[in-house]
Amino acid sequence: MRILGCFKAVPALDLLREEDWVADDSLRVDTEYVKLEWNCFDEGALEMMRKLSDLSEGLNVVFELDALTVGGKKADSFLKILYALGFSHAVRVESEEGAYTPPELLAELIAAYIQKKAEAYDVVVTGVQSADASHGKTPYLLAEMLQWPCISQVTGMEPAKGGCLKVTSQTGRGEKVQIVRPPCVLAVGNAPCAYLRVPTLKDKMRLGNRPIEYVDPGVLLSDAGAFADRIETLLALCPVDRSRDTVRIESGSPEEKAKVYYEQYLKGRLLKL
Amino acid sequence: MAIISREQIVEGLVKILGKDQVITDEKVLKESSLDRYRKYEQVCEVYTQPIPAAVVNVMSAEEVSEVLKFANENEINVVPRTGHSAIEGGLETALKDSVVIDGSGMNKVLKVDTYNMQVTCQCGVPLQALDDMLREQGYTTGHSPQSKPLAQMGGLVATRSIGQFSTLYGGIEDMIVGLEAVFPNGKICRIKNIPRRAAGPDIRHIICGNEGAICFITEVTMKLFKWQPENNRYIGYKLDDQYMKLGFDCLREVMVAGYRPSFARLYDAADANMHFSGWLEEGKAILIWMAEGPANITPAIEAGIKEMMSKHPELEEVNPALIEKWYEGLNWGPEQIAEEAEEIKATQNIGITTEVSGSWDNIYEIYKTSCDRILAEVPDMTLMGGHSSHSYINGTNMYFVYYYNIVDCAPEEEINKYHDRINQIICEQVIKYGGSIVHHHGLGKARAKYVTQEYGSSYYMLKTLKQAFDPNGIMNMGTLIPLRK
Repeated sequence: MRILGCFKAVPALDLLREEDWVADDSLRVDTEYVKLEWNCFDEGALEMMRKLSDLSEGLNVVFELDALTVGGKKADSFLKILYALGFSHAVRVESEEGAYTPPELLAELIAAYIQKKAEAYDVVVTGVQSADASHGKTPYLLAEMLQWPCISQVTGMEPAKGGCLKVTSQTGRGEKVQIVRPPCVLAVGNAPCAYLRVPTLKDKMRLGNRPIEYVDPGVLLSDAGAFADRIETLLALCPVDRSRDTVRIESGSPEEKAKVYYEQYLKGRLLKL
Repeated sequence: MAIISREQIVEGLVKILGKDQVITDEKVLKESSLDRYRKYEQVCEVYTQPIPAAVVNVMSAEEVSEVLKFANENEINVVPRTGHSAIEGGLETALKDSVVIDGSGMNKVLKVDTYNMQVTCQCGVPLQALDDMLREQGYTTGHSPQSKPLAQMGGLVATRSIGQFSTLYGGIEDMIVGLEAVFPNGKICRIKNIPRRAAGPDIRHIICGNEGAICFITEVTMKLFKWQPENNRYIGYKLDDQYMKLGFDCLREVMVAGYRPSFARLYDAADANMHFSGWLEEGKAILIWMAEGPANITPAIEAGIKEMMSKHPELEEVNPALIEKWYEGLNWGPEQIAEEAEEIKATQNIGITTEVSGSWDNIYEIYKTSCDRILAEVPDMTLMGGHSSHSYINGTNMYFVYYYNIVDCAPEEEINKYHDRINQIICEQVIKYGGSIVHHHGLGKARAKYVTQEYGSSYYMLKTLKQAFDPNGIMNMGTLIPLRK
């Protein structure tokens, strides 16, 4: 089973000094001096992939783990770590260092990469959202583009019979366990183990220096020149006016009030549907 | 070992201090049997050291005196403690039915004397609180170890600690003025506050660095300095990791030229990557200085260092704002310790440090050969590196930083399989090249086994001191001088 783990390296915002939480001229907070770290949900997702592979030992199934990120050169060190941890292939879709890539574009790039691959992926694993932008949209958009089902808030993955996965996720009503037949997108939420294991220096030397596949985003998109144009820049921030008019239905019993509400406010809208 | 039972020890202590000051809660006792040297055991909540009979909270020198007299008469091992931030086993209760004497309740700042530029405080005053209070008034102790959010004055003096700005202010031995300490027979001794004297040996140094193996420190007077952060200047250069030898030479150049920056640091690439990976390329080491002091001095130090470094084409200057921002987030406190524990549990990966010192002509060999040996001889290493962070006219320190995965190993075996083995290699290399195996964390119990090699013929003096002041052997046995097997 081929699994692609998609992750993001993000600035360690807890290392940012309080006085540095100030927007600059381009309305961005300068995080240049803080180190990059795994996006927390992605870190849990990658560790979950490794654990899945560990669990397959002795079973008649091989999990081939690949990793992909969209980012600048600094992300290479993260891909090297994944190589050292036994990932088979590491891909970086090249983007300007620190550039903001909107979730629609991220999902499109990942989907295009998967669709252009000769050998098909069975599963894509991501974190539910990133710590820097917090949109929480990428896995859902990706699933839609691939026309694959998506399970969110995943907390566990195990091998299951017949080329399936046993997926545990959190729902509003508690924990849900499903046997899933790929392909699917799994968005990892609050995983019990949020930390990725650490490769030894020997493994880093032995495995960490394998070549990373660099992909020009323009090649992945249908409109080759569109990538740079679609990197969004924040120009201004203004509050959204969410205030609404209010009418109080005075007097009468609850039944009479309900009748007034239905006749005067609801009926017309329902008829329009 | 005690000549009375565990129950009699507790009874005796309650008689002296009252029930409220004698803690026998099992969890507290277990946690008090070790320090961060056995970090993995601590995280796994596996306790291999003898569990103490009690932890006593002392509130005055007189109470310390009474407790010590009781312990001395009954040959009870005592372990003095304040902030509980030790990392070399100095707080381990190595003998059965020990008593931990906790001075953290003695936390009053007694006098801030800005005319004579000194501050007097009790042993349990947290350094962070003291320095924050002083800074509000425009002063500082100049002492800023990484453990500042945890450490308290008694322990800082007892371990002969050093802060990040030592190149200007010195180690704690240069900062202390007078002291008060209690000896095992209950004798309370005060050393008065004077700028200097030549009336015999400097007896403050019987107390400073005693690691609780000679006396219990109850009061400390420290020098004060003006705090002028608005004048701070930061200087940084990156260099390829292969030029570490040059890096040490650059530190030396600045010291020998007579400059006194407040910090002077050299990180190798492995260590630098943990701190500066946001902007520093992989494989790059980094040299950093900070100049502190009056407005007309710091620019001169900055200009002097820059002029000297400009002669080294291997160095590339970095934006000083990046250094300034990094340095402000350097200390670790309870939150970082809690987070680290979670990470260790989850990944079975642990990070440890060992600090040593050497002369300019041997520090590079100490650094290089230790790293090489550890990588060749110790399994499961995930990071091996370090930095120099305290420089002198005649040498510098090396702060080894290493991480390893704990593989197929019970918590109680970890110390033998990894930590002690790494410590041993470092100590062997330091002794071989003529440095010191301890720069500022204390010998503790972890490195006490190397004390005769460290001291050579002068071990006679240390042993005689211990025997003279602690003839019954009740003060933190196993620290400084190893226990007989």
